[in-house]
Amino acid sequence: MRTISGPSATARALTAIFQKGIKHYIRYPGNLLLIFAMPFMLTVMIFGMGQFVGGSNAALNFAARTGTSNILVYEILGSAVWMISWVVVEDVGVALRDEQMKGTLEQNFLAPINRVTLLIGLSLTDVVITTILFFGVAGVTIMVTMPAAFLSLIQAFLALLIGLIPLFGIGFLFAGFVIRFKEPYIFTQILNLLFATLTGTYYPVTLLPYWVQFLSGALPQTYVIEDMRRIVLANQTLVSLYGSVFILLALALAYPTVGYTVFKHLEKKASVTGEFSKY
Amino acid sequence: MNPVEVRSLSKVFETKEGPLLRKVPKEVVAVDGVSFSVPKGEIFGLLGPNGAGKTTTIKMLCTLIAPTSGDAFVSGFSVAKDQQKVRENLGVMLTGERTMYWKLTGRENLEYFAALYHLDVADAEKRIDELLGLLGLKERQDMLVENYSTGMRIRLSFAKAILNDAPVLLFDEPTASLDPQSSRLIRDIIRGLKKEGHAIILTTHNMEEADLLSDRVAIIDHGKIVALGSPHDLKEKVKSSDIIEIETRNLTDHTANALESFSEVSQVALSTDPHSAEKGLLRIHAEKGKEVLPKILEYLVRKEVTITKVSFIEPTLEDVFISETGRSLRD
Repeated sequence: MRTISGPSATARALTAIFQKGIKHYIRYPGNLLLIFAMPFMLTVMIFGMGQFVGGSNAALNFAARTGTSNILVYEILGSAVWMISWVVVEDVGVALRDEQMKGTLEQNFLAPINRVTLLIGLSLTDVVITTILFFGVAGVTIMVTMPAAFLSLIQAFLALLIGLIPLFGIGFLFAGFVIRFKEPYIFTQILNLLFATLTGTYYPVTLLPYWVQFLSGALPQTYVIEDMRRIVLANQTLVSLYGSVFILLALALAYPTVGYTVFKHLEKKASVTGEFSKY
Repeated sequence: MNPVEVRSLSKVFETKEGPLLRKVPKEVVAVDGVSFSVPKGEIFGLLGPNGAGKTTTIKMLCTLIAPTSGDAFVSGFSVAKDQQKVRENLGVMLTGERTMYWKLTGRENLEYFAALYHLDVADAEKRIDELLGLLGLKERQDMLVENYSTGMRIRLSFAKAILNDAPVLLFDEPTASLDPQSSRLIRDIIRGLKKEGHAIILTTHNMEEADLLSDRVAIIDHGKIVALGSPHDLKEKVKSSDIIEIETRNLTDHTANALESFSEVSQVALSTDPHSAEKGLLRIHAEKGKEVLPKILEYLVRKEVTITKVSFIEPTLEDVFISETGRSLRD
């Protein structure tokens, strides 16, 4: 039996993992529908709460604090990025646990591929899913409410693509924890709720206490959300936001490095304790 | 070097037992200094009861579990140091039907694993066609695995194990849950793979299967190999005594064990019917079996045990296990 080696072998394995992920998404369509509906539902909920708390001054207060009167686009961009980060962190972080529950993790680990290749392959699936999610949620909203700004979405999407790299790093980190300690949803759901609170999903980060803003500054979503809003709602360009992009690039280096190191360490521990086949 | 060399391989799991906040660390020895080798073209059976250490040994060999001490070599590569190379040289079938993706078709599953094993695309397609045909799955190849029967899923899992045509093959209970026809098919394929020169390790708690397929058998109990040899040689060792098999009802362990006090009796093993606790199969190793049989029957009748069948039998690998451990494989 002839085999292939080197980058072409890795590319083929990545493609297979990617295709498998896409097929699973398509064959479980309910999940896909939910992640499309969630940003809209959350935005409506936040809008309603804002009206209730702010009363007749709600819109004016919002404009004073955010610099825009377009509440819908402001909130939907935050919601879309939150949902995308939810999908990435949960998919990558929980993917190996899902394989473990299906009984297929060991089969994958028996193959002569680097185990991180599995995580990267799953991440590729998420790039496609998040692209569809982004254009399906933010794209549709902007097309309907401010069609003139539609082209700015391309730049906003580039900011998102850079931001996805550190998010995958966070996913790797949690994949390690999950494979070692099980109970994935405790990790990912607490984390995702913290993300919504800390990264300016529904309000400007500047409203948070000063010390909390330090934590926000360490999270990639904070920059992605802020950059997107500036590009779409304030007509800025990605180039003019170079300071923020630079920080995102630094996070894109730091998170995957830390995530990979922690994953390898915990994966090694799991092979000592025989965790791969445990439920 | 043989394709498989296992040297003093041990695995100790550290667990914690007891109520929450008062858990006490405990060490469980799953495999204890196991050594064996498997040459090309040999089927090597690992036979033992559930929990004996067979699967842990297999999982160490295929790099899923790190050994605590010792080492094993697959095609000359160490499972402790050259894991990627070990995996390239292995085809593995693990127990269970949930080892394939249920939301993919049978063919998609094999294509997926062919990519993970770096198989050339054209060769892989040819191989997949060949295996689907061989295992009787060709007509259902485009059906989602969730719609397969248990037997079909296990056959697909077997196809995945031999997909990369690896020199060393590990099959963990390959015919468990299969109907007799599918079991026969899998056994025939395993024999064919042996003829092609593959080194094959087969774990099973089915002594007939181990006897039928294996060139050599290691009987493993509490993580240790208690006997190793060809099925013929192992059975010859216990031929010095007669083996009496008695089917009973209402026989207790206590009454059975008391038979060991008879001077002619060397081993007694009682296994109960999993479907009916009152039914038991008593196996007695005894010198001059025909002379001692009336005494045994009289004793059992006195203890109000119902006897439904008595026979003298040829030794099986189960008798080897009984002779080495004093227990039945089915315990």
